[in-house]
Amino acid sequence: MPQRLRRAVELVETCLLTIFLGAMLGVAIYQIVARNAFGTGIIWGEDLIQAAVLWLTLVGGAVAAGPDSHIRIDIVARFGSPKFQDVAARLTALFTAFLCGALGWYSIEFIKWDFIDGTPGVGVVPAWVCETIIPVAAAVMAVRYLRHAIWPQRKEVS
Amino acid sequence: MIWAGLALVVLMALLGAPLFAVVLGAAMLGFLAVGVDLAAVAINIYDLTDKPLLAALPFFTFAGYLMAEAKSSERLMALTRALVGWMPAGLAIVGFVACALFTALTGASGVTIVALGALLLPMLKSSGYGDRYSLGLVTSSGSLGVLIVPSVPLILYGVVAQQMDVGERFTIQELFMGGLGPALVMVVFLSVWTILRHGDVPRSSFDAGEVWQAVKAARWELPLPFVVLGGIYSGYFVISEAAAMTAVYVLIAEVALYREVSLRALPRVIRESMVMVGSILLILGVALAFTNFLVDAQIPEALFQFMQKHVTSPWTFLLLLNILLLVLGAILDIFAAIIIMVPLLLPVAVGYGIHPVHLGIVFLANLQIGYFTPPIGMNLFIASYRFERPVLELYAACLPFMMVLLAALIVITYVPWLSTWFT
Repeated sequence: MPQRLRRAVELVETCLLTIFLGAMLGVAIYQIVARNAFGTGIIWGEDLIQAAVLWLTLVGGAVAAGPDSHIRIDIVARFGSPKFQDVAARLTALFTAFLCGALGWYSIEFIKWDFIDGTPGVGVVPAWVCETIIPVAAAVMAVRYLRHAIWPQRKEVS
Repeated sequence: MIWAGLALVVLMALLGAPLFAVVLGAAMLGFLAVGVDLAAVAINIYDLTDKPLLAALPFFTFAGYLMAEAKSSERLMALTRALVGWMPAGLAIVGFVACALFTALTGASGVTIVALGALLLPMLKSSGYGDRYSLGLVTSSGSLGVLIVPSVPLILYGVVAQQMDVGERFTIQELFMGGLGPALVMVVFLSVWTILRHGDVPRSSFDAGEVWQAVKAARWELPLPFVVLGGIYSGYFVISEAAAMTAVYVLIAEVALYREVSLRALPRVIRESMVMVGSILLILGVALAFTNFLVDAQIPEALFQFMQKHVTSPWTFLLLLNILLLVLGAILDIFAAIIIMVPLLLPVAVGYGIHPVHLGIVFLANLQIGYFTPPIGMNLFIASYRFERPVLELYAACLPFMMVLLAALIVITYVPWLSTWFT
């Protein structure tokens, strides 16, 4: 990937994470002040924070897929030869890409159901809108792991 | 077909596939086996929005990363040193206490090794502690904070255990209280052992001026325990709100008052901490699906019945549990171990009459020791990298600490009152 594109992607990722964390913090603090000082609050405040947790999770997960820094057990790989480590990295990346693809595909089904039912989400925003992050993040992870399967990036463990 | 799939998932796990993918694969296979639409996995991931406590994790983690970025570790060291450095084996006790508190706040014992170890190691050696002892202390003490409020592993255990809805109900506040006694037992055991072994190390004298200097330096961070604990126990806030207060307070302290974290560095700190949170919660999301499958397929019940045929006493069960968890703690990341193993083990433990809070504390105490259990505990490698020492040297250095903590673990395991007196 060209350097400039990579930087732009990183910038977008960081901005998204900052916005979600900032929104969660802002709403949480506003709720505390409003409730304890004025006895009021935003009705959908709690829902918004919880939806932000979901978005933060999936965006964070997609970002972690970039350098392939997800939590894993690496005992076998640690003791293998470099050749073995390379093959293991490619195979596991392919496996992960396939599962992320499957997750994305089947989550669209779920979003369709909630769209038809008109399930409520956060305030006036319906649930299916909040759910769209699942297939989007799954697709990003699938693409990134497919890339790792072709060009493994995982650092060799010493 | 399902079995072949399962074999593939296990093989991929061993080859180092990301754990979220492993659990996702297992959950999908499970749903396929019982004929449930695979969209159920997405529904379960969406259930992450149904757990109010979860919002506390990004807040506390962000606060912890900020403190690791600033010079909080130096101030914490200076303060504990001024307060308890005059006692016999004082500096070692300073190390235990400071490392425990730092890990409780940052949620990661690896961070403690990096942040505090570099300060502590030369200090210990120049005060007359042996090289091997000092190295063992800085490598193992970071794990002491796992049981201390508001450690992230504790909160995560609370989230996972509460959604299982088995056994006696408990609040997260009770779980926090439950960790304090056992953490204290560990610190006391280590301190007594150190005094017996290194009691002849020259002591420094108590200096009120030094205390005053350290207090003055830490003035913006000293209110932090009150923000955290006051928030949690006052009843005015729910846990996630106390966490939000903590995050905002630490943000103001480190960025505006101490000015040790620049505004330019802030996006990087947010990114690093939120990627960490994202990768933990992603495993939790897919594990919610896996847990649903386990419960539907009544696997914990089957496991319990199988266990009961062979193990009748809860004490024997706890002993087996300890062995299993020590091994798991060494090979699995602590967060992943909680998310994956608690849904399987909690129903079994409750079947043996074990209180969920007690199980949680035993669970975490084991994983904590697993952090530096040879040959593969993660902290051994972090310390080896940080202090540029061969891993074998660290095995030898940590072994005595491990033995002392195992003795403490036996007490914690077989005296449930230590963790459940508050419930």
